[in-house]
Amino acid sequence: MMSSLVIILWVLNIFFDTIGQIAFKYAAISPSNRDGYYYWIDLLRNYWLWIGIGSYLAEFMLWLGFLTLVPLSQGILLGSINIIVIMVVGRLLFKELLTRDRIIGMLFITAGVIFVGVS
Amino acid sequence: MRKFYLIGFALLLFFDTLGQTSFKLTANSAEPLEASIEWLVRVFTQPWVYIAIIGYIGAFFTWMTLLKKAPVGPAFAASHLEVITVMLVSIWIFNEQITLFRLIGAALIVIGIIFLAFAERNIQQQHGNDAE
Repeated sequence: MMSSLVIILWVLNIFFDTIGQIAFKYAAISPSNRDGYYYWIDLLRNYWLWIGIGSYLAEFMLWLGFLTLVPLSQGILLGSINIIVIMVVGRLLFKELLTRDRIIGMLFITAGVIFVGVS
Repeated sequence: MRKFYLIGFALLLFFDTLGQTSFKLTANSAEPLEASIEWLVRVFTQPWVYIAIIGYIGAFFTWMTLLKKAPVGPAFAASHLEVITVMLVSIWIFNEQITLFRLIGAALIVIGIIFLAFAERNIQQQHGNDAE
């Protein structure tokens, strides 16, 4: 079974990964009709970009901490839960579709992560 | 075209696996884990952390190149099937034991990823039809 520190690191990892991905999505879809050089200036001024970069830096250190405490094979499998969290958040924020295949896929991954978590 | 995808997906898996393996080697080299400057110094004064960063950067640019051309279903699957290659490397390099529970878990996760890949493809096709 996983210790409480492992669980905290795992949850924080997923949290910052999700924040990072959402922030990059917001940065990408923010209105900008300028071309070339000005597009990049606009992008660098967008605070979502910096939230995304900050989240990814936090995630980098948290993932290192997490992998210190769990075997790599277990860590990578537990990490795949982020696929689902991001899909659910995508549904809530960006009204992305939840089709039958997506729900089946999410259930399989969730079941798999539970198996790996209790192993 | 087929060759472009095969090389692209293989390269993506390679960079992802390299990145995760280097992450684990970094974590091991910097032990014991502690919230301190000493730990950060140990992390950034050994080579593996920089190979991990190279792995991430390599995966990012491979992914961006693939996304321009590849169909979204297989691309989605390929971007997550690193779980298989990383598991194999864990057994080989780190002598990790794969328990029956972990093996069942891995199989379920892979089935889930394949379902999601089909879902991505179908949604893409649906959007294509709507646009016509």
